[in-house]
Amino acid sequence: MTTFAPASPGLAAGGPRLWRGLRRGWRTRASMLVLALFAAAALWGEIVYRLAQARDRTPSYAQLNLDARYLPPSLFRHPFVAAGGSEAAATPVGARLYAGLRELARYPFGTDNLGRDVGQRLIQGARIAFQVGVMTALIAIPLGLLLGLLAGYFGGWVDDLVVWLYSTVAAIPGLLFILAIALVVGKGLTGVYLGIGLTTWVGLCRLIRGETLKQREQTYVQAARAMGLGHARILFRHILPNVFHLVIITISLRFPAAVSTEVFLSFLGIGVQGEPSWGVMLGNARLRLWQGMWWELTFVTIAIFAVVLAFNLLGDALRDALDPRAASKSDV
Amino acid sequence: MRGRAADVTHLNYMGHYLFRRVLQMLPVLFGVVLITFVLFHVVGGSPAVMALGKNATPAALEEFDETRGFNRPLLWGRWTATRAWAAWDARRGAARAGAWEGTTGARLDAAGSALFPPGVRVVPLACPLRAGTAYRWRLEVRQPSGGGTLAVTPEGGAPSTAAIAVPARWTRLDLPLSAGADRADGLRVTVTGGAALEIRAARLERRMAHPWESQLAHYLGRVARLDFGVSLATNERVADMLKQGIGPSLMLTAPIFFGGLILSIALALLCAWRRDSWFDRLTVVIAVVLMSVNYLVWIVAGQYLLAYQAGWFPIWGFDSWRCLLLPVLIGLVSGLGANLRFYRTVMLEEINRDYVRTALAKGLGAPAVLFRHVLRNALIPIITSTVIAIPFLYTGSLLLESFFGIPGLGGLSINAINSADVEVIRGVVLVGAVLYMVANLLTDLCYAWADPRIRLR
Repeated sequence: MTTFAPASPGLAAGGPRLWRGLRRGWRTRASMLVLALFAAAALWGEIVYRLAQARDRTPSYAQLNLDARYLPPSLFRHPFVAAGGSEAAATPVGARLYAGLRELARYPFGTDNLGRDVGQRLIQGARIAFQVGVMTALIAIPLGLLLGLLAGYFGGWVDDLVVWLYSTVAAIPGLLFILAIALVVGKGLTGVYLGIGLTTWVGLCRLIRGETLKQREQTYVQAARAMGLGHARILFRHILPNVFHLVIITISLRFPAAVSTEVFLSFLGIGVQGEPSWGVMLGNARLRLWQGMWWELTFVTIAIFAVVLAFNLLGDALRDALDPRAASKSDV
Repeated sequence: MRGRAADVTHLNYMGHYLFRRVLQMLPVLFGVVLITFVLFHVVGGSPAVMALGKNATPAALEEFDETRGFNRPLLWGRWTATRAWAAWDARRGAARAGAWEGTTGARLDAAGSALFPPGVRVVPLACPLRAGTAYRWRLEVRQPSGGGTLAVTPEGGAPSTAAIAVPARWTRLDLPLSAGADRADGLRVTVTGGAALEIRAARLERRMAHPWESQLAHYLGRVARLDFGVSLATNERVADMLKQGIGPSLMLTAPIFFGGLILSIALALLCAWRRDSWFDRLTVVIAVVLMSVNYLVWIVAGQYLLAYQAGWFPIWGFDSWRCLLLPVLIGLVSGLGANLRFYRTVMLEEINRDYVRTALAKGLGAPAVLFRHVLRNALIPIITSTVIAIPFLYTGSLLLESFFGIPGLGGLSINAINSADVEVIRGVVLVGAVLYMVANLLTDLCYAWADPRIRLR
């Protein structure tokens, strides 16, 4: 598998090494494809959202269409019957085929109880999930990384303070803590970002602190110190590249967790307001399930499932490539 | 005899270790209390407004704050804001003329300052000043013509204090007020001099009897007395609510926890034993798939398909053990994937060790090796992960309980979140944190008991 020197298993040699180390079986490839699709959907959703905002119009995913409520996905709509109607025999085959194809392209994922396009809403959900994953990582990763590095490198009272801080945060039940922060900050995405971001840095901080403690004693750090390099330079130029693989692994683990938490918060009505996030859709779908509207729940489930599964598989591959110790453990 | 002596030393070491660990818990406990304080007192909105609504009278809000200690300085201080009169600053938004509403004769000038022409004006208060309490009115004033004076007394209060000279440049003046025995619902402002008095900022403050009589002190005192307060929504005592909730919660989470533990360890042992067989590979794939299905989906789909469509389980309620079956099943299935993967990794690591080969080589059967050797050696990571799972367990029941109508702590928390019931949330958070710390302590004790080297560190 990977052949990194145990002293510096990290990304010191840069990206290509990670790329080579990554075991590219079909699972890794498939999950990368899914994540690329996810990112593209998020980007597309962002464009649609921005355009609608710039034009000051109701975005297409929020438009109500009371004539087209509860439309099943087009594959389940018998498009040829619908297009042809009773005089189907009279119309030429080509026209019927054309009408049928048009019907297939209309609301391919069906509509919800207000006639809104489920497919477009799924894309908006991807946008919000992506935002939540990125924003929470932007809060939690620098926080955990910096505190972990400082604690591990300097030790002493800095270490005591950081350990106290993360023990305190870790002691508070996670989901409840996130809920409380979101509640206090106020309903909306900011609350979600802060709630998830401010509670999930602990794991990374612990990992980085432990690894920095080890790296601090390595000869390359001693050499750097003997050369008279400053603390900041040693920390960020020498130690950081050697612990950075932990950051990548953590992101691959935290991203899907953040998406799931956002789903949960929005489902409860604390998260996203007035936008179709996957959690909001799930909450809506749950109520409409009893009226036979199975497709919204199904598609949201598939979307969340695909993204989380892809992250899980990719995370495994990343761990194998970056962390030789973990790789020997989990050779699936 | 030697055994006895060794035991005593052992106990002695354990006692020392326990003592040190409990001491280490105290800062964390303090940190948790501090975080809840910062969350709900500093960052959060006014609990009085949350509980009584935006349309409540200032007097009612003040009364609410007084009983719960919210009308004190945050950390420490002599002076605290009062709801009797809103703090006002011309430089911070000129539109806020509301503070001067009802003050006849006063008006705002172009710069936003309040102008008081010479004469006697009455500034109405939103709620009466408290009798026998000292207040002060902190003003930033000037009298452009110079030589004017200003005197302020509470309506119907003590006789007018001496008038204070107001200089021509902006000056900060603290005007002491003491409410008399009567209820003062206005401040009488007497202005003399050539031109109108200009006020740029004004704040009415109440004097505390003691500078340390703060919200933090009040809160710490409450926590020390284990007084969790009263629910803002239902007026029930939070301690009682927690006590009632813990039983149903445990009924739900204990079977999930222990059932899941046994199931995933058994499957993990099988996987590790039959490593790389079709069974192992299939189980690993299923575990990843199970892990990736959203928790909410398990609940929604399970409730709909198994309870509603198939009718195998009751949909909702808490009147017989049958009601617990479906939530427990969902909890088991949703947690299985991650646990199984983790335990399989642990078991694999153990099963590759030399002692396993030795044991097999000397002719021990598979069950003996698995259960007597591998399982025992894998116990430490298992204990760790078990404790790490405890807070997840606690929050995991949030959803199951509210979906299936189980009156436990999880459902309680969800209701509290929905009604912004800060007191209940805080109670649940504090209890959860303490439970987590105790569980952590227990694991460390297990470690120390299992591995004597830890005690000596």
